[in-house]
Amino acid sequence: MKIYNKLILIFLSVFVVSCDDELNLQPEDQLTLDVSFSNKETSLGVLTGAYSAAQQDDVLNGTRQAYADYMADNVDFVGSFPTFQAISQFNQLSNNTSIEAGWDDNYETIGATNLVIKYIPTVEDVAFTDEEKAIAVAEAKFLRALIYFNMANIYAQPYSITNGDTPAVPLVTEPFDAEVQFPSRATLGAVYDQVEADLLDAAAVLGDSDNSRATKGAAEGLLSRLYLYKGQYDLAAEYADNVIQNSAYSLASDYSFYNTTDSEFMFTLLNSAADGQDSGEGFSGLYNPVPDGRGDAPFTDNLIEAYGGMDTSDKRFTELTQIGNDANGDERIFTSKYPDGITNADNAPVLRITEMYLTRAESNFREGTSIGDTPLNDINELRKRAGLSELNSISSVDQILEERRKELAFEGHRRMDLLRIQLPLRRPGMPNVEKSNPGDQKTIFPIPSREIDLNENLTQNPGY
Amino acid sequence: MKRRLQKMLTLLLVLVVQIAFAQEKIVTGTVVDQEGLPLPGVNVIEKGTNNGTQTDFDGNYSIRTSQGAVLTFSYVGFVPNEITVGASSVIDVTMTVDAAALDEVVVVAYGTQNKKTLLQSLSKVDSEQLEDIPAAGPQDLLQGQAAGVQVVNSSGILGSAPTVKIRGVNSISSGSRPLFVVDGVPLNDANQTTAQGGQALNPLNDINPNDIESMTVLKDAAATAVYGSRGSNGVVLITTKTGKKGEATRVSLDLSTSFSESTDRFNMMNADQLRQFSVEKGRVDSVTDLPQGSFNWPDAVVRTGYSQNVDASVRGGSEKTGFYLGTTFSDQEGFIIGNELERRSVRLNLNHEATDWLNVGASIQYSYINNDRVGAENSTFAPLTSAYLQSPWVEPYDENGNYRNTGFIANVIAIEDLDINDAKTSRFIGNVYAEAKLGLEGLTFRTDFGADRYLLEQQERSFEINSPGGYAYNSVDQQNKWILTNSLKFNRSFNDVHNINAVAGMSYEQTDTRGIDVEGTGFLSDDLINVTSASEFSTTSSEGAGSRLFGVFGRAGYNYDQRYIVEGSVRRDGSSRFGLNNQYGTFWSVAGGWVVSDEAFMGGTGDWLSLLKLTASYGTSGNDRIGNFASLESFEGGAISNYNGASGLRQLSAPNPDLKWERSKAFNLGLNTGFFNDRVALTVEYYKKQTDDLILNVPIPYTNGGINSITSNVGSMENRGFDISLNTINIASGDFSWSTNLNVGINENEVLSLPGASVDNQGRQFVEGSPAQRAIVGESVNTFYLIRYAGVNPETGDAEWLTADGERTTSPTANDRVIVGDANPDFVGGLRNTFKYKNFDLNVFFNFSYGNDIMIEGLRFTDNPNGNFNLRTDLLDVWRQPGDNAYVPGFDSPTFATFAQRSTLQLRDGSFARLKNLTLGYTFGEGVLDQIGFLDGVRIYATANNLLTIKGDDLDGIDPEVTDTVGALGQGETFFTPPQSKTYLFGVRFNF
Repeated sequence: MKIYNKLILIFLSVFVVSCDDELNLQPEDQLTLDVSFSNKETSLGVLTGAYSAAQQDDVLNGTRQAYADYMADNVDFVGSFPTFQAISQFNQLSNNTSIEAGWDDNYETIGATNLVIKYIPTVEDVAFTDEEKAIAVAEAKFLRALIYFNMANIYAQPYSITNGDTPAVPLVTEPFDAEVQFPSRATLGAVYDQVEADLLDAAAVLGDSDNSRATKGAAEGLLSRLYLYKGQYDLAAEYADNVIQNSAYSLASDYSFYNTTDSEFMFTLLNSAADGQDSGEGFSGLYNPVPDGRGDAPFTDNLIEAYGGMDTSDKRFTELTQIGNDANGDERIFTSKYPDGITNADNAPVLRITEMYLTRAESNFREGTSIGDTPLNDINELRKRAGLSELNSISSVDQILEERRKELAFEGHRRMDLLRIQLPLRRPGMPNVEKSNPGDQKTIFPIPSREIDLNENLTQNPGY
Repeated sequence: MKRRLQKMLTLLLVLVVQIAFAQEKIVTGTVVDQEGLPLPGVNVIEKGTNNGTQTDFDGNYSIRTSQGAVLTFSYVGFVPNEITVGASSVIDVTMTVDAAALDEVVVVAYGTQNKKTLLQSLSKVDSEQLEDIPAAGPQDLLQGQAAGVQVVNSSGILGSAPTVKIRGVNSISSGSRPLFVVDGVPLNDANQTTAQGGQALNPLNDINPNDIESMTVLKDAAATAVYGSRGSNGVVLITTKTGKKGEATRVSLDLSTSFSESTDRFNMMNADQLRQFSVEKGRVDSVTDLPQGSFNWPDAVVRTGYSQNVDASVRGGSEKTGFYLGTTFSDQEGFIIGNELERRSVRLNLNHEATDWLNVGASIQYSYINNDRVGAENSTFAPLTSAYLQSPWVEPYDENGNYRNTGFIANVIAIEDLDINDAKTSRFIGNVYAEAKLGLEGLTFRTDFGADRYLLEQQERSFEINSPGGYAYNSVDQQNKWILTNSLKFNRSFNDVHNINAVAGMSYEQTDTRGIDVEGTGFLSDDLINVTSASEFSTTSSEGAGSRLFGVFGRAGYNYDQRYIVEGSVRRDGSSRFGLNNQYGTFWSVAGGWVVSDEAFMGGTGDWLSLLKLTASYGTSGNDRIGNFASLESFEGGAISNYNGASGLRQLSAPNPDLKWERSKAFNLGLNTGFFNDRVALTVEYYKKQTDDLILNVPIPYTNGGINSITSNVGSMENRGFDISLNTINIASGDFSWSTNLNVGINENEVLSLPGASVDNQGRQFVEGSPAQRAIVGESVNTFYLIRYAGVNPETGDAEWLTADGERTTSPTANDRVIVGDANPDFVGGLRNTFKYKNFDLNVFFNFSYGNDIMIEGLRFTDNPNGNFNLRTDLLDVWRQPGDNAYVPGFDSPTFATFAQRSTLQLRDGSFARLKNLTLGYTFGEGVLDQIGFLDGVRIYATANNLLTIKGDDLDGIDPEVTDTVGALGQGETFFTPPQSKTYLFGVRFNF
């Protein structure tokens, strides 16, 4: 028996010793920050991750654009999902979970760009040239500017009313490094300033070789949009003209450019079935009729009239619409810019040159200038493509704005194109017109109550 | 060796002599208890031989033996009797109850203990309490059975996962589920199956309820500290059926058939009602503007489910070996169309005395379950959900009788008829052991090697009509665990009064998981089934992870004359799940007890007071349910990080190298009493358990790189309450007996502190569990926090809510949310009455829950008059003119659109009492059985489950038992819970 006892003791002690190493189990598919920024490949992977974060539906892939459309006059929201319905009826509360998710996902994207901007210059890898590092940082700055611009426009009253003096969103430009920060909201003006600075930096470094990523044209195009929203029409026209003069981009001859990398686009986010829209609540899910999509967002009658009614010859209507059932089972008109409701593989049209023609025309018209070309020529260029007769003259900026509405419908522009010139979001006769005036409390989003509860430095928008 | 040979020779010699001289004869007799009632199943064995039998149902036995032989009569709970066979060939025996049956042995962690000197707080659920309850998994069997154990079934869907809480919610971010241990093997219970709108299937379904002999719920620290890092949520020890050495072989065959139907469903509008309503609210000008079809979707998705169960087992033993062999075949149909479950299960349990110093044994189970699933809760592919929401003018078939696609609210009839949605699990759970007596008397060494291997295959295929282009999903997940435990036990009495009971050991446990998922769309034909035929591959993923746990443990108990008892236990655990700086944690407990009734000065009370025992314990235990790598920062790749064909990385979590064990300090006071020879037994326990270093995913502002939270040890929480159980034998005379078991668990939960958490506008710290619920400091962990709905103003027709200050308003904001309820009940429990009259037995079992609130989120849809889904018929009650007391605001009211927003309008009192089980059985007497020679016993029985539910009036159509998560936060909420089923079961059990 004594031998048994000894054997057991030996067995036990051997076991105890050998177990210690086992406890240091490492995950199979995770890296640390240090490893991620230790070489060129993984550091550029973090930049790719920033684009991937931007692919989330409520960043660039459609949810945010759809919310804006639900508030404005192009879309007749017929769904029943409570958090969407609230937005469409201007009775959303600060604990609206869809709004909170959007805030989260946009700051995720900003966080990814901040990592790139801070750490890529520090990567020690002989294969990683300074020029490559500068381009990576410039791409991240473009993305950061784009996200901040989008967020500022939905969380703050428009610049045209406030001159940028009211709070927008917290301006975080440093990556998260385990030390929790509690930033307060920056004013719209301060956010716009950061956006402008980032875009100017990006435009100075970026090239135009790949429009599935940030380009010089995209940075200048977004600068043009920024100046337009701020009412700096001379700069808006100048930057729009820069893009139009850029040989990398040209007006497509017809409307088959959607979901391609045609030179119409300065930047388009490419999606596939396996990697793209992530929730079914992006462009493809929300804008398609049932059964492929949710059928929540058919055309308003007002928009159909804008194209000239059902019998119009406007190719933007005849070629870019489909008839299908809405969420209620009623037959309605839907856009066909995002036709793939099955795999949700449609691309996000982020910046395309047509907008530059419209911005240049509007800005020149307002300023009485003709930077690049006359407003009449710019507008007729677009009307020709749409199969419409050319205008002989432009007597009112409204004609330019009407073309803008028809060109850019369902691409996320309409709400701001109304607010920036102080027009109500809804047309007379539409539901909730009285709540849709520029400056009305619920035409902008609440800061999610989760964020208010966690960060005492944040203030809430009035009315929430 | 030489001595052993001598012994054998002597034995042989004795046998030879006996054979030579013994005079064979047949002895018969009747065995009764002190009351004169016959005792069936008493083992009658000729001492020192294999020769034995059992008494029949009338207590009669007959055995071939010889004069001078010694017959032993033994029966659980009675003092064994030894009688030497004399000249008479009739030996009638009266068995006496074993010293108040207090020598009953109960299963505890790493061993068994004598119930009388037990200090640990535990509840035992015996086989009689488990019989006749049709259960999918082991948790269901616990509902209402043990004081302090709350089981909430998540739905009536087959295989759905119930929530089990022992003495309240003990954690916030870590799991609050107890640890389940089957025959010494701690089970894997991570969710592996897809949620499908509700939640994953019960990961413990593979444990065949028919194999369970008993369940022991360990509750206080004295009981759980030896499970160390996994003890704080309580531990459930499952002991499976075994055969005893020397027990006559018994073959048992149980056949049953059952029918199940739904209990509560919403009353939804029909097509005409909804069309009319749509006109009135101005959605359309005339009913003719709407489709003219009509279909009753809620009726079409339910049915009477028909199920069959065959359970066969053989158990018994020889002199040195005991065995149990059991197998179950069952085919169940749920009451929701398309929901079916097949179970095939076998178990073999063996124990063998290899030598006089070595015992070996094994318990092995293999099971296969094929669950044809249906969605639930928040999914438009879920039959009941979509049946409620679907417009009743939408019909499932087109004019040619073919299925049609009904859009966002899916055609669930076509889905359940055509689509594939299966989860198949194969699971092996086994433990082998060897136990050796060492040189020192009372000292044994035991080594256990256990394994839990789990293979899950999930297959989904949605065909063209339901998912244009077709959709397929396939996943294979494996979870493999092995565990090695070595322990030394010492069990000995000195001088008859000093009793020592000790165990010490070490255990190493390793779990590895691996999973592969693929998903595709774009099929040319519905005849092509698998992802390989798809054109777009939306998911191709494989993942692996694991955990390691190493522990050393010990427990030592001493009692003096079974009167003064002390016990202590300790465990030190190291886990791969914790931060590098805190991988090891030590947990311990101390306990003491005093059996007052055995004192000399209590001598005069013996005739009425059979037991009075006081116990107290204090100790710590932990919780390691935090996921495998919660302490590490992570940059991860995959679809969420890739863009346009390039691989990317995203920062997903922040590091916390200091992450350490969540630790519960528990205090327990127990009073155990027995009166009138234990005909009345009352146990009352008070407990207070404080969980510190709560592992909390502390939310941080999203502005920190979009990272939601940091997993940290912050805050503390307390659970306090009473567990009460009262067992009485009300009547035991002649042919009739009646006994009652009542158990009640009273629990109060309070969050004590949450430093670093969010702060509400009243300055209280909280963690949000769901949009309706928060864990708030000073309140329960499951506090409902909502805008208060005040009703429709009869004068204006506007819906009104209350502001935080209690003023009426028609436009409340998120700041008007206040504390309005608690998802945790004040008390839960069960009441069982068992009646026996001659050959009849009747079992009436209620379970109840009182004082909990439930949130029916689905009402935000079915009661939203402004929405375009179908509506409950309650919505027909619209305000039309001043003075109306209506449910729904007027059509022109601005609140018509906001009426259904999240508020107390959707909150209900979830208290209920439910007749969970009603069983009537009849056991055929000998007269009948004599005709069929080979049968030893036949029992026929009929059982009804959930026959009756007592609940609040405003729960019409709503099952009060809801949960859409097994997590600690967000309890008591549902979207649309498929209700519990009402089941009628008829069975017959043959014993051979």
